Amino acid sequence: MEFENVEAVRQRLEEADYICSPEAATVVFLAEATGKPVLVEGPAGVGKTELAKAVAKCLGRELIRLQCYEGLDEAKALYEWEYAKQLLYTQMVKDKLSEIISGAGSLSEAVDRIANQEDAFFSERFIQPRPLLAALTSLKPVVLLIDEVDKSDPEFEAFLLEILSDFQVSIPELGTKKAVHIPFVVLTSNNYRDMSDALKRRCIHLYLDYPDRDLERRIVQLKLPGIGQRLGDQLVDSVRAIRDLDLKKKPCISETLDWARSLVVLQVEELSPAVVEETLSVLVKYRSDSGKVRENIKKVADKAGLTWTASS
Amino acid sequence: MDRLIIRFATCARAAGLMVSQAEVMDTLTHLALVDVTDPQAFHRVLRANFAKSRRDQPRFDHLFHLFFHEFREDAGLSKDLLAPEAARLARELAKEFPDDPAFKAALDFMAGDPLAFLEKLRALETDGDRPAMAMGGNLGQVARRLEMMLAAGKVKDGLLRRLGENPDNLPWQTRRELEEHFLSRLDAARRLISGEDRPLEAGAEARSAYEKRLGEIGERSFVSLTPKEVAEMREVIDQLVRKLKDLASLRYSRQKRGVLDVKKTLRKSGRYLGVPMELVRRNKPPKKGKIVTLCDVSGSVWSAARFMLNMLYSLQECFTRVRSYVFVAGLAEVTGIFEDNEISRAIDKVLAEAELEYGAPTDYGATFRQFSRNHMEVLNKKTTLIIIGDGRSNYLNPELRLLEEMREKCRRVIWLNPEAKGFWYSGDSEMRAFETRVNEVRPCQNLNQLTDFIQDLIL
Repeated sequence: MEFENVEAVRQRLEEADYICSPEAATVVFLAEATGKPVLVEGPAGVGKTELAKAVAKCLGRELIRLQCYEGLDEAKALYEWEYAKQLLYTQMVKDKLSEIISGAGSLSEAVDRIANQEDAFFSERFIQPRPLLAALTSLKPVVLLIDEVDKSDPEFEAFLLEILSDFQVSIPELGTKKAVHIPFVVLTSNNYRDMSDALKRRCIHLYLDYPDRDLERRIVQLKLPGIGQRLGDQLVDSVRAIRDLDLKKKPCISETLDWARSLVVLQVEELSPAVVEETLSVLVKYRSDSGKVRENIKKVADKAGLTWTASS
Repeated sequence: MDRLIIRFATCARAAGLMVSQAEVMDTLTHLALVDVTDPQAFHRVLRANFAKSRRDQPRFDHLFHLFFHEFREDAGLSKDLLAPEAARLARELAKEFPDDPAFKAALDFMAGDPLAFLEKLRALETDGDRPAMAMGGNLGQVARRLEMMLAAGKVKDGLLRRLGENPDNLPWQTRRELEEHFLSRLDAARRLISGEDRPLEAGAEARSAYEKRLGEIGERSFVSLTPKEVAEMREVIDQLVRKLKDLASLRYSRQKRGVLDVKKTLRKSGRYLGVPMELVRRNKPPKKGKIVTLCDVSGSVWSAARFMLNMLYSLQECFTRVRSYVFVAGLAEVTGIFEDNEISRAIDKVLAEAELEYGAPTDYGATFRQFSRNHMEVLNKKTTLIIIGDGRSNYLNPELRLLEEMREKCRRVIWLNPEAKGFWYSGDSEMRAFETRVNEVRPCQNLNQLTDFIQDLIL
């Protein structure tokens, strides 16, 4: 066990620049202790991927990332034979090959002899490991991040099951490969579609939501230590007020941080509704959404305690 | 501890959470690792293992509260002198109505075993249309809810009577405590039934309700929808649209594994001494069509047209372009309104902003004339023209020739008629004439028919 208790997880994640809720810390702790995968769900931009990175950082492990997308198949996720290399080697050892088959009485005998050498060509030497195999065969323990697993096809999800429950894969030519170390697996999902119950059953579930005010404020402070106390407060409050509006895409933590960064660059000391409107494009990504924020700017300003008189 | 968790898991299943054996075992291993005396840690562990989707979480939280907080007194009670008394009371009460399952469930609930009660509640929510057992009649849900309410009431009456009947064999504090204990339980039960804090529904709404609602609302005629149902309809459509998008994208990914692309395969084989090691398949995306809609916005037709527009624009990425026109006795293009506004707002705006004479009698002929004069260029061989209207042209010239011309210009013309089929050919309806001049005529009275149509359109 790498962590002593839940509190230790929280502290070490914080050292890795990741502030998390007690839920997240508990789940990470349990997953690490029992070698189970974590399925992280939640809206875009609340730090699902970041969590995996932070875990890797604080455990000092390598992060192997598999980005899922529609049409992702085993060849891209697990392993691939390096045909080119195989052919090249065949060319180079041509002499040896002809030596082997020289003196063979018949064609079938020659084929038999070649078949005896098959292992030389279908060996690990010619396998190109893709993220999943790399994570299993790595000699050092790693963190495996399977990002946006909901974007993959259902067939791929079914294929993941073997890996997630037994931490082994079968390669027909080589047999079953067992994990050297059980990797810390994080799967993230945006709820684009529901994951199957079989997959869920194998994972510990964590739902990351938009953080509460204090947490968000601390995150801003951590990532941008230079930000003023007052600006930081106003910023977080405004983002929360904007999030309360009925938007197509709500601003997430990473957008809060982007916004904070732009405000620091613009050397804004205090937020005013005018500044919010001017810099809105960093925060809101749809035209209809920014229109809505502009319409409700007064409500936002009131909620966040912005003063109208302050000039930018 | 093990037994407690197993009991909780059984209840969770009864309440509709999917909890498997493996999850129970995981929970037990996990609990050994954390400080179980910390109630929050305990809750987190259970939640991470029992509620594996966002939807389930509120339901889980409620159940957790019920089981570990409202029923917690169990532990205190069982050591107490009260326990045998409570058990005796429950036994005696049970004799009163031996054949009534609802009564039994309510009684068990009160005595600290919510299983049967939760199961009944769940049954009530999932198959609301099974015929009511005790009450009879066809009130379904309401009746059965009532039945359970009555059962809880009966338990309460019986309890109070028994407690009041023989005051001598129980000291008054004991009686008070028992009474308080049981009454708080029954209160919890009643809250569950009446759904005051909507515990079980909150989570289930999103999933199970969708199918059910689709079933209910799918067959309702558009014309007869109340404003509340219109809003509900929009939600159902949102979900439908998401499903259809998934379907469409699935087709795209299938299509990638299409026929062999000989040229590219040969080119790639160069890397392997001319051996075609990698097969390249032709990635042929299915053709996206262009859509032009002509909507009759007079009265009844509009109620169907708005939903069609809603769906079409939600599925915009399945088409290269959607252009829409509305008409009564003249034509107005409303594409711009949809491009500048969010869908539902756009639909509300259409009627207000399109420059039309709403008072005028519907004139299909004039509409076609105007269309062919000003907008004929939007039609080409990739365009599907959708006309939605009842075909009632008020005995004015329907200009069938122009319709034919339009059909020649585009890929196909589909006519959607929101009227009941029985009325199609009566009165001033020109349906019979229109029917022969378009490629397809479909009834479009309710959501199911509309969905079928849209599905055929994009797939």
